[in-house]
Amino acid sequence: MTKVIAAIDSSAAARPVLAAAAAIGGLLDAEVEALHVREDGDRAPRAQAQAAGLSLRTIAGPTVAGIVRAARPEDVVAVVLGARGTPGGRRPAGRTALEVITALGKPLVIVPPSAARPDRLLRILVPLDGTKETAEALQGTITLARGRELEVVVLHVHDEASLPPFEDQPQHETETWAREFLARHCPCPPEELRLELRIGSPPDYVVRVAREADVDLVALGWSQDLSPGRAAVVRATLARSPVPVLLIPSRRR
Amino acid sequence: MLPGLDRRFEAVIFDWDGTAVPDRQASAGRLRAVVERLCELGFDLAVVSGTHVGNVDSQLRARPGGPGRLHLLLNRGSEVFVVDEAGPRLTYRREATPEEDAALTAAAELVAARLAERGLRTEIVSARLNRRKIDLIPEPAWADPLKARIAELLVAVEARLSRAGLAGLREAVELAQTAAEEAGLADPRVTSDVKHVEIGLTDKSDSARWILRDLWARGIGPGLVLVAGDEMGSLGGLAGSDSFLLVSEAARATAVSVGVEPGGVPEGVLALGDGPPAFLGLLRDQLRRREGLELPRVDEAPGWTLSVEGLDPHLERVHEALLTLADGRIGTSGIPVAAHPAITPGVLAAGVYAGEGAGTQLLPCPIWNLLPCEVEASGGLRRVLDLRTGVQRQELELSAGPLSGLLFSSLARPGTAVLRACGPGTVPDGDSRLVPPPGGPETEVGETDGRRWMRVAASSPGVVAAVGERRTEGSSDGMLERLTTYLPGPTRAPSPRVARRRLGDAEKQGFDRLLVEQRRAWAERWEAADIVIEGDPELQLAVRLALFHLMASAATSGEAAVGARGLTGPGYRGHVFWDADVFVLPFLAATHPPAARAMLEYRFRRLDAARGAAQAAGKEGARFPWESAGSGFDVTPSSALDRTGRLSPILTGALEEHVTADVAWAVACYAAWTGDRRFASGPGRELLVETARYWASRIRLDGDGRGHIDGVIGPDEYHEEVDDNAFTNVMARWNLRRAAEATAGASADEEERRRWLELADGLVDGYDSATGLYEQFAGFFALEPLVIQEVAPKRPIAAEALLGRDRVSSAQVVKQADVLMLHQLVPDEVVPGSLVPNLLFYEPRTAHGSSLSPGVHAALFARAGRLDRALELLRLTSRIDLDDLTGTTAGGLHLAAMGSLWQALVFGFLGLRPDGRLLRLDPLLPEEWRSLEARVRFRGRRIRIRVARGSVSVFAEAPVGVGVGDALAAAGPSGAGFRLRSGGWEAVSG
Repeated sequence: MTKVIAAIDSSAAARPVLAAAAAIGGLLDAEVEALHVREDGDRAPRAQAQAAGLSLRTIAGPTVAGIVRAARPEDVVAVVLGARGTPGGRRPAGRTALEVITALGKPLVIVPPSAARPDRLLRILVPLDGTKETAEALQGTITLARGRELEVVVLHVHDEASLPPFEDQPQHETETWAREFLARHCPCPPEELRLELRIGSPPDYVVRVAREADVDLVALGWSQDLSPGRAAVVRATLARSPVPVLLIPSRRR
Repeated sequence: MLPGLDRRFEAVIFDWDGTAVPDRQASAGRLRAVVERLCELGFDLAVVSGTHVGNVDSQLRARPGGPGRLHLLLNRGSEVFVVDEAGPRLTYRREATPEEDAALTAAAELVAARLAERGLRTEIVSARLNRRKIDLIPEPAWADPLKARIAELLVAVEARLSRAGLAGLREAVELAQTAAEEAGLADPRVTSDVKHVEIGLTDKSDSARWILRDLWARGIGPGLVLVAGDEMGSLGGLAGSDSFLLVSEAARATAVSVGVEPGGVPEGVLALGDGPPAFLGLLRDQLRRREGLELPRVDEAPGWTLSVEGLDPHLERVHEALLTLADGRIGTSGIPVAAHPAITPGVLAAGVYAGEGAGTQLLPCPIWNLLPCEVEASGGLRRVLDLRTGVQRQELELSAGPLSGLLFSSLARPGTAVLRACGPGTVPDGDSRLVPPPGGPETEVGETDGRRWMRVAASSPGVVAAVGERRTEGSSDGMLERLTTYLPGPTRAPSPRVARRRLGDAEKQGFDRLLVEQRRAWAERWEAADIVIEGDPELQLAVRLALFHLMASAATSGEAAVGARGLTGPGYRGHVFWDADVFVLPFLAATHPPAARAMLEYRFRRLDAARGAAQAAGKEGARFPWESAGSGFDVTPSSALDRTGRLSPILTGALEEHVTADVAWAVACYAAWTGDRRFASGPGRELLVETARYWASRIRLDGDGRGHIDGVIGPDEYHEEVDDNAFTNVMARWNLRRAAEATAGASADEEERRRWLELADGLVDGYDSATGLYEQFAGFFALEPLVIQEVAPKRPIAAEALLGRDRVSSAQVVKQADVLMLHQLVPDEVVPGSLVPNLLFYEPRTAHGSSLSPGVHAALFARAGRLDRALELLRLTSRIDLDDLTGTTAGGLHLAAMGSLWQALVFGFLGLRPDGRLLRLDPLLPEEWRSLEARVRFRGRRIRIRVARGSVSVFAEAPVGVGVGDALAAAGPSGAGFRLRSGGWEAVSG
């Protein structure tokens, strides 16, 4: 049996983390284990876990190293933790979240404090930037989601560079282009997916479309590189997403 | 078998004496049997000899029935006979002039005299056609030496020459060469078979060139040819007599010698030795390979083949579109014959649509080119499409072993698809079947007279395919041959019985004959369509690819519905746009008129629907739809999701009315190239009249009596619902005038004609004589003067998508040629000299956001003498599909852009246009090219035009008037020449 770890702290944000972990566990057919890295006691987390029907494993800190260490075993397939950041702030995800996402080469779900708590996932947004790396990173997620009968909404945001230079008859061109885009980047038949196209800045559109499409989860492929000028979509999405964000490291870093 | 010979060839060119037979007395019975059987299996044989037809034919006595041909190229390059069941028939003879004949005799006598001066007795033994033979050793012992004794003969001859003070045979030949020149022969061919020195007007190289040309014209390239002789190597310091067969055109052929070759063979020639028995063995081996159903090869001639290595899931569907096989009736995506998750099998039938309204789309058909095996993820795959013959060869590495396939969609029998595959993976257990179209409508299957069939949509419209297979299983290899015939039913349910009958016809022919037909049909099309660009190999291949798909997308009889992507993919749902009439049709009208005629027939048969559309709009005449499919009613969607995610209204169906004049223009274009009076006075006139009637009722007259056309979309679709679009108005004006001209003297209502002309004269066109500019539409010059060239990082650019619909529509940003399209289509209808000012004004404002734009501008820049920009845009056009610049090539190739590529070369760079009975040229050649050659068909004559720096040559099947600049000449089979002098072009003789 595989395992999803829900890393919780003593705050109220633990509740949506546990809910998201349960949904992700359902998606992955994995059991969920609540984890608390003790720095200042575990009373609150234990209560939260108990309320969620989960047992709590408590380990000694420091927090980031503890989470990474706990997630290392092969049977751990994903880690869910809270964002704990100030939306719109300079560091939208909390310090712990940012350190874990760059340190752990496994799928991670970052849950905003205000995230809704659905019992199960119904709709997932998968932004694809048209690169092979991103597509490869997200193929498993799309296959899994389709296997669980989730609606997969693929988003591609054109920018000046990626917009095809020709558009003969838009009533046909977009349809043909979209079909081929899905065929190139997705592992299932185009007719099984919904494609949303936008033109502009991808960081702006991911969260906007997530809201418009009323998705339960945003899945992003990324290179785990948060150096300046990199991962603009990940930063923006972590900062503003109303729903949990699944980060899948791409093979190439 | 020697490496290099252990393969299937399609033709052999061979020497007679010493190669095919040991001497003139030997029996050729066994050879005859093999020759006749090889011809029956589609193999070509060409005997090349210095002797005459009586000698060879009385010995060989072959009477082949074909389809392979037996040629006798005799009299050392001066005669060609084709041999069939009735015997030899002369097809070519080089006729010497009396002066040449006298010079030959004089030359021979001069040689004999000069040798006699040195004490050497020789004899002029015969006066053969176009040559004289001087016997250097007229001694009884060497009267008729066997080829096998050639080394001894050489020693004897050289000893004799040496006694006369000559250094050897070489000096005797040099002496003859000098004598021939002194006798006044311009291009003497001096050869020697050791015993003789011969002076002639022709030699075996002429034979080789003739037969290679003939084979090429029937789709057999040199790479498929075996050249055999017994004297390839040098002898006595002279080139062997059969080395003359190794002309430059035969560079890719395989050459073999079966002779003794005392001096060895030239590099690249295989030495087999053993004389005629070895040659007979070679032919028997070829027979065995054909009877053993060995897979033919394709000739990978430079500039003629598109090859794709491996299977890249990302680009696979692009490659499949580029590798499409089509015959005008059906088109098949170029998938590998083995399954893979990334492939998209697809077969489309022209004009067979399903669905209603905007949802109307081409009906997917059963798949014939898929075998029940799979491409390994890491397995090898190579696909080669031979554009010259429309044949595709595939090599695959399967888990069971290698698999090879050869496929084609028969141009000679449209609707017939042929597949042969060899390899252990070919013969899986159970029956192979036609595969139902993926995601397509329901199919039914059945069997008629022992052949399976599959029908898509039992009622009309539908398609039925009947399939027949045969298989062999050898010790290591298996072979499968599958023939499929498609019967489209655009208007009524197709009958499996009819499809079965057609399959029976194809089966009767068999694979080899079908392949012969296919090669010949395609080669024939190329003879009147090819473009040769010397100096740009990449562009050359791209141009041929474009022409190939243009030719493959239109049927040549009945009607041809040529959708925006032809038969190369399901994109644009097979809908027919102005692309067909204005971009594709000109190429076909100028190269293969029956296909252009079929395209016009498609419009003509939908005239009633067009009349209905006009009536529904409260107008008269006929109004053709922006998007057309089976019914002829408009099938343009009324809205579509755009790239911003918004649902946008689509107004082209309601407002892009110029298509009605474009159909009329196609009529005139066809008539100009063909001179088809029957069409012009029948369906053509009706189309011109009905479209003119529409415009006459569409024009609004203002208080000053000036005519306006309000609320349209021009080719520049960034600006919608505009008034007095220059393109629409001028095309309508042209349409009215042309209809009046077509009905002059006919039974038409004279008053109606007069009214057309008055309306035409009064129609505003936005031209301002002060600036020389046409205003694209009323108010265009008042829009924001945004010059896209200055603000866009690069063009082409989809400006509407990037800047937004509102921004673009309020600015002077143009999608594609609009005003300038007039200079392309109706240059006589615009003000003379207006091209350059309008080109300089509008092109910088053009985003080229349509794939139709660069090709048109390439043509116009060429006309304006701006060859650098013309070439840049030409190259861009040529890469649209090859580099998938639109991201949509997977949905099919951009046929209109391909048509514009041809137009840029022919109308733009060559400046070629029909002018009544005259063909006019005004060529301009970019520095990068050494020459540009085009083949067209004008008023029934095949024409070849070659432009090099400062010179033009025109060859025509039958005399035709040609004008280059102000110079006029009549071109015929021997050609007409023109040179550029300081004062302009002038005709030169020869």
